[in-house]
Amino acid sequence: MSGLALLLLILGLGIVAWGTARAKASRFVPVGGQRAHSRPNYHGWYVALWAAVPALIFLVVWSSVAPGLVMGTVLDTPAAAALPAPGMERSAILAEVRGLADGTVAAAFNPVSNTLAPAYKAASTRYAIIGTLAAVLLAFAGGAWAFTRLTPDFRARTRVERVVMGALLIASLIAILTTLGIVASLLFESLRFFAKVNPLEFLFGLTWSPQTAIRADQVGSSGAFGAVPLFWGTIFIGAIIAMIVAIPLGLMSAIYLTQYAKPTTRKWMKPILEILAGVPTVVYGYFAALTIAPALRTFAVSIGITSASSESALAAGLVMGVMIIPFVSSMADDSIAAVPQSMRDGSLAMGATTSETIRKVLVPAALPGVVGGVLLAVSRAIGETMIVVMAAGLAANLTLNPFASVTTVTTQIVQLLTGDQEFDSAKTLAAFALGLVLFLVTLALNIVALRVVKKYREAYE
Amino acid sequence: MNSTLVAGVPATGAEPPAPARTPTDWRGAKMQGSIRRRYAAERRFRLLGLGAVLLSAGFLVFLLWTMVGNGARGFTQTELRLDVDFPASTLMIDPAALAGPGKDAALAGADIEGATTAAATAAFGTDGERLLSDGAWLTVRDAIAADPTILRRKAQIWVPAATNIDLAAKGDAAPEDEAAYARLDKAGVTKTGLNLTFLKNADSTDPTLVGVWGALKGSLLTMFVTIVLAFPVGVLSALYLEEYAPRNRWTDLIEVSINNLAAVPSIIFGLLGLAVFLNFMDMPRSAPIVGGLTLALMTMPVIVIAGRNAIKSVPPSIRDAALGIGASRVQVVFHHVLPLALPGILTGTIIGMARALGETAPLLMIGMRAFIASPPGGLTEPATVLPVQIFLWSDEVSRGFVEKTSAAIIVLLVFLMLMNGIAIYLRNRFERRW
Repeated sequence: MSGLALLLLILGLGIVAWGTARAKASRFVPVGGQRAHSRPNYHGWYVALWAAVPALIFLVVWSSVAPGLVMGTVLDTPAAAALPAPGMERSAILAEVRGLADGTVAAAFNPVSNTLAPAYKAASTRYAIIGTLAAVLLAFAGGAWAFTRLTPDFRARTRVERVVMGALLIASLIAILTTLGIVASLLFESLRFFAKVNPLEFLFGLTWSPQTAIRADQVGSSGAFGAVPLFWGTIFIGAIIAMIVAIPLGLMSAIYLTQYAKPTTRKWMKPILEILAGVPTVVYGYFAALTIAPALRTFAVSIGITSASSESALAAGLVMGVMIIPFVSSMADDSIAAVPQSMRDGSLAMGATTSETIRKVLVPAALPGVVGGVLLAVSRAIGETMIVVMAAGLAANLTLNPFASVTTVTTQIVQLLTGDQEFDSAKTLAAFALGLVLFLVTLALNIVALRVVKKYREAYE
Repeated sequence: MNSTLVAGVPATGAEPPAPARTPTDWRGAKMQGSIRRRYAAERRFRLLGLGAVLLSAGFLVFLLWTMVGNGARGFTQTELRLDVDFPASTLMIDPAALAGPGKDAALAGADIEGATTAAATAAFGTDGERLLSDGAWLTVRDAIAADPTILRRKAQIWVPAATNIDLAAKGDAAPEDEAAYARLDKAGVTKTGLNLTFLKNADSTDPTLVGVWGALKGSLLTMFVTIVLAFPVGVLSALYLEEYAPRNRWTDLIEVSINNLAAVPSIIFGLLGLAVFLNFMDMPRSAPIVGGLTLALMTMPVIVIAGRNAIKSVPPSIRDAALGIGASRVQVVFHHVLPLALPGILTGTIIGMARALGETAPLLMIGMRAFIASPPGGLTEPATVLPVQIFLWSDEVSRGFVEKTSAAIIVLLVFLMLMNGIAIYLRNRFERRW
């Protein structure tokens, strides 16, 4: 029986248990004027939980144990003696056996597979039957035991609510587990990388060329993991070019929409600007590569920069800046709105014009909030992947020329992990080390930004 | 009156006399000039602000206009009328065999491709084959399957043209292709119609045969996994943090984790998926289930944050009233607070899902960039998703892919707009101000 059908069967049993228990509970007669402690629904849920949950837990455990048991049985058959010693070939044959038995592989490449396939099929059928029977039995046993416990003064509601609270707690722990998973996987793989490459060389080296030699005598593929060109490229695109675009446009848009625009204009323009943040990054990347980058190259050549590359830092940075405008704008909007009205009124009453009020009172007062918003925007820009992958290029240059091609941390992560490579090479592991650096930097930026914003909010409360 | 009062203030002799103050001459040339300058600065500043808004909006319009301009052509296709003389061709199929159950085998056994090439040569000259799409014979095969009787006569079949001809028809190709198209057009054997292939095929190496359905189906399967996992977990943790969590170090840790996860770059989730789901748990590469799991971890914090705001906005009087008539704390939340907060939670969920639908980088990490020529059949089969498909097509050299990429972008944007539209509708229709 397939996994989905079994799952539906268990859930069906749960529903049946719910109905039966509910029917039983609704026939409870009040004893001595005392009504049942819990309403029939709760009795139903109590029995249903007992019927379904243990069986489902068993199924999860069984599905991780069963393949091993099946393989063990197959390896115990006499035909398995013909298998080669553990290694690549053996696992290839065993994978083929599995495919033959499932019907996903039509014909075997290896003759041994044909002899083992029937044994595998028999074993997997046997264990599937055992698993199904055990799960169904468990469901019936759990349901029946819970059913016998139902009495008018049985506290079904309390018990069901305890399960609900448990589920709530488990759900909220998943966030911690995810964070731990990220930190652990990045740290673990990075440590393996740093066992091969000196961390100081990684953080301060000036050459990035991650091709490691397959043979020792190969030329030009010694592998250099100095990540400074990557860090520079990331900062150049994400923190400099993108911000030169995003800060003035975002700040001025926010000022215009909050201080000058009519309410109807604001009602329409604000969502339109927010669409900019909702456009998928792959669309921006395609736009940057297809339209902006060639145009910039033509422009650069026409003003005499002949070395201009068709994949330039400027193209990626400009488009990324546009993507960031709504972030800067909405953070600036919030911080300007948080400046007390009395300060604005005071300045206007002294005879300052609106723009003087904005430039000399509102913006300086809102500055910490704006700075916090800019830091958040930077953290988003340096973690952005698709725009730089598609428009910034792969050459690890340390350059100040915005028309040259530079590469970034995220581009290199994508580059190192797509394509064929074994999992243990320094090249692959380098991606995780870069990921760790990226994670730590964005984390620090976020913490600092949130702290700045919070401090500033408190100042006016 | 005033002047006498001011004049009557007794001067204290010990202090030095105050400098003589002349009243500001507001109508003097100097002040008028200064005011004019200040007003000019005001107007400039205001125009600067308007300019910033218009520039940002203009960029959006330019982006959409470019995509629609390039992509609209991707939805049409040039077809050529191919005259096939079946009785004279080398095709050996018995029309009777096509009626029975052996239909597929009979079609697969016949050399339809060769017959199509021969017909093209007969119709369009020696290199007539190059005018047709690589998949033209598939159309011929489908025509035979639909009506076996055409095997007994000469038939006219509309088949897709090659990329060069297709581009020439749209006015965007090399001169020799333009000339070839002009010749065909003069002969009256061309027509341009809706490209149904694009809506029902999957990836291909030939731009005339590609379609978005494979990627779209992969996206839908991935989104299904994402929402099934992220929505319950997100809502339950939002309820726990907002309604039950005691104020202690553990709760703080949960809150900090959720806020940080919402700001972690998406590619980091891809690295997590690669290290944990693929390498540690040994799940299948490129499968929608792994993509869905990864995106669920990414979407969950968004749902939690939106959910908490929605729950927070339910007024405490509702809870007090429910507690007052004897509801338990679980009943208060599940019978009263959750239904009232649900529209807000759903709005946040749809926005989070829209973000997940457009996400590319984490899915590249878990191998969803493979070449998948047929739509995925299930959650564990190799699949790709719409944004990744766009990325892959954008890398193709063939010029025919430019319009296909833009057309796929239009499909993606339409889906995103639909989702955001639903979110806005929900917000306007159901959100209550207390």
